[in-house]
Amino acid sequence: MLRYIATRVVSLIPILFIVSLIVFLIIHLTPGNPAALILGQDASRASIHQLENKLGLNEPLFIQYLDWMKKLLTGDLGQSVYSSESVKGIIISHIGPTINLTVFALVLTLLVAIPTAVIAVWKRNTLLDPIFISLSLLGVSIPAFWLAILLVLIFAVTFPIFPVAGYVPLSRNFFNGLYHLFLPAVILACVETGLIARMLRDGMLEAIGQNYTKTARAKGLSESAVLLKHVFVNALIPTTTVVGTMVAGLLGGTVIVETIFTIPGIGQLLIDSIYRRDYPVIQGVILFIAVIYVLVNLLVDLIYTLLDPRIRYN
Amino acid sequence: MNHLRMNRFICLMIGLTLVFTLVGCGSQASDQTDSAPTKGGTLKVAYASEPDTLDWSFTSATATRDIGWNIFETLFALDKNYTIKPLLATDYKVSSDKKHYTITLRKHVPFQDGSVMSADDVIASLDRWRKVSSVGQITNSYIKKVSKLNDQTLRVDLKTPYSSFIESMSAPKSALAIIPEKIAKQALDQPLNTKQLIGTGPYQFAKWDKGQKIELKRFKKYASRKETNWGGLTGKKTAYFDKVDYLIVKDTTVRQNGLKTGLYDYAQGIPSDLYDTLKRSKQVAPVTYINGYSTLTPDKSEPPFNDLKTRQALNAALDKKAIAQATYGNQKFYQLDGALFDPSQKQLYTKEGTEGYLAYDKAKAKRLLKESSYDGKPLTIIYSNDNDNYKRIAEIVKQQMEEVGFKVNLVPYEWTTFLAKWKDPKNWDLEVVGWSTRFSPSELGMLVLNSNNSGWYKSQKWSSLLTQWGKADTDVQRKAVLKQMNETVYSELPFYKIANESSFDLRSTKLHYDSWLGERFWNTWKTSE
Repeated sequence: MLRYIATRVVSLIPILFIVSLIVFLIIHLTPGNPAALILGQDASRASIHQLENKLGLNEPLFIQYLDWMKKLLTGDLGQSVYSSESVKGIIISHIGPTINLTVFALVLTLLVAIPTAVIAVWKRNTLLDPIFISLSLLGVSIPAFWLAILLVLIFAVTFPIFPVAGYVPLSRNFFNGLYHLFLPAVILACVETGLIARMLRDGMLEAIGQNYTKTARAKGLSESAVLLKHVFVNALIPTTTVVGTMVAGLLGGTVIVETIFTIPGIGQLLIDSIYRRDYPVIQGVILFIAVIYVLVNLLVDLIYTLLDPRIRYN
Repeated sequence: MNHLRMNRFICLMIGLTLVFTLVGCGSQASDQTDSAPTKGGTLKVAYASEPDTLDWSFTSATATRDIGWNIFETLFALDKNYTIKPLLATDYKVSSDKKHYTITLRKHVPFQDGSVMSADDVIASLDRWRKVSSVGQITNSYIKKVSKLNDQTLRVDLKTPYSSFIESMSAPKSALAIIPEKIAKQALDQPLNTKQLIGTGPYQFAKWDKGQKIELKRFKKYASRKETNWGGLTGKKTAYFDKVDYLIVKDTTVRQNGLKTGLYDYAQGIPSDLYDTLKRSKQVAPVTYINGYSTLTPDKSEPPFNDLKTRQALNAALDKKAIAQATYGNQKFYQLDGALFDPSQKQLYTKEGTEGYLAYDKAKAKRLLKESSYDGKPLTIIYSNDNDNYKRIAEIVKQQMEEVGFKVNLVPYEWTTFLAKWKDPKNWDLEVVGWSTRFSPSELGMLVLNSNNSGWYKSQKWSSLLTQWGKADTDVQRKAVLKQMNETVYSELPFYKIANESSFDLRSTKLHYDSWLGERFWNTWKTSE
């Protein structure tokens, strides 16, 4: 098992190398540079050129890339062009809000998706099932930005129960922090719940026709025991993959929700950096997101072995 | 009898109640501007864009200006009527040959780091400004020497007379912010970092959570001038708030909703088409102020716009009334005026010479275009799609140009890409952009000779007018030069002015705020009710 994990971690290196090269080329070949932006629209060509020199933006691309790679090998992600702060520090300061939002949204999603899917399977031949299918389809189809605007209008403006926007770190005030995160987490959860509940329901329906389920029933187990102990657990594998993708996606930053609720997370940071052409930050954040994806996928693979002991990695 | 008295008493009470109710309603509608100032609290400003730096000298960016002028101050500054008044200086004298300026400084003005301002700080700030500021670089070409006479006095010797010298030193963009000598020498030609944001203003820099907020706090030892009627950027300034938080809120709807629900006290940058809906609200009040004008600039370094006839054809093709109406909608937010400066800038405004501004004549445009060297190749209009107004202008201009025989392609870019594309004449034939209010002909970005901003405009006439402006002493002389400047713009057509623009912000009705150019938060306070 340890060998498997080590192999997977080592396989990160070529993936990250390719990601870094592609990202580096794409952003450096995109027109626009931070010097012109910093100096404003009145700036003369000479002053822009001068600032470009100071920021090291006039070096040939491959030299800039090599410099960056050299630093990267020593664990240094470089410095932001516009704030001179270390990219590592910037990412760390923005990851907190994103993690909080992700965990909160995940908890809400699972709290709603699991019981709903179980009930839908339990009452599969009643009116509840088509209602469930319609609702889950609605959840998947509603665009997050539209839902965000609608919920803000209802629950923050018309009935001012929740704040319109803003972020309070949980470390500063835990409950106030959760209160500020509630609406954004509900929006993310709405979209993800539909998908996860649907996956879980389909998985359970598939498991329900299997021989082991028939055996369980034949043993005389109650329907609830059959559903929870045999059907549900067996339906978890495909669901775990979807949950893993969701977590990786959310940790990579949810640009729309973070922008609408002014949450200073990774998604917001990435968008701001792209507009500013803050190359080191863009490169750092994309690498970070790539690492998150690979690690979450690794974690999902490891969870498989816990869920289904037949799966072993050698 | 008693019954009658009782009736009268009841009538009186009803009458009084009605009067008080009406007075109450009235005071609500009058924005509570008459309430006594209250000190303390935090002002929460929802600001649409995050500045790249707060160094007020380094950049001409509006976001830097609007936050920077709370922290920094200049030697001279504009008052509420856009006339120049002293701020950190007490006065200046100019020699009879107009080449030597002696500037005296106010005494006992503390910096936010505890040191006290002296001539050494001013000289070091001036030296840095001459290198890093776009306005300072122009001024530098006139400066021969700057010397200290004593702690409170300095002398500036010019190579040639330059009557815009004091004007340039009071420019509110790329400004001559006075900072401590030590910091000016440390920073040199780099933008000031957050530890170096030390000025003499009523608020001082406290914290910058990148992407989230910029926090200012009251500068307790602020040395204010006494003049209560100057306004603008000078005169008496009082910092009533303990803290001013500029919260970076990029979404317009969030800024509006946040203001309505009391999350913010002031929201910057609201779309003008919401004005009619929002002005009726009891919780929020509109704030409007002048914000320069929108322009269409042809690239004059290449065909077809290197030919004056093509430029004249385009001028006749543009129905600016229709463009402005369709772009801005509400007449409160635009003004059809051809002058280079705004009518409220009394010393700089003249309407004379602007006859060529509204020259819409389709038949004439078609005739001129036939006579021109335009060969029918499609032309490229570039603009930034971050701004809805530029987008609308570009779309209507395309339509109007095609009506007279031009072929046009629209190419939108996001702002940073636009800035890069704008630098190269190969990328465009026409560009649409807005220029914020300027305070001297030398600051007019769209007329900087041989630059991308002016579409590579080359004109001996304009160059000589700038020299004449530098020499003009009296108001009459200046107005005569301004008239000729207008005439030159409409005869040489280096750019097409579309319309004067106004900005639209929102404030809470609890906020006592005196609107001027941009947002500034001294002499501003919040009533508790």
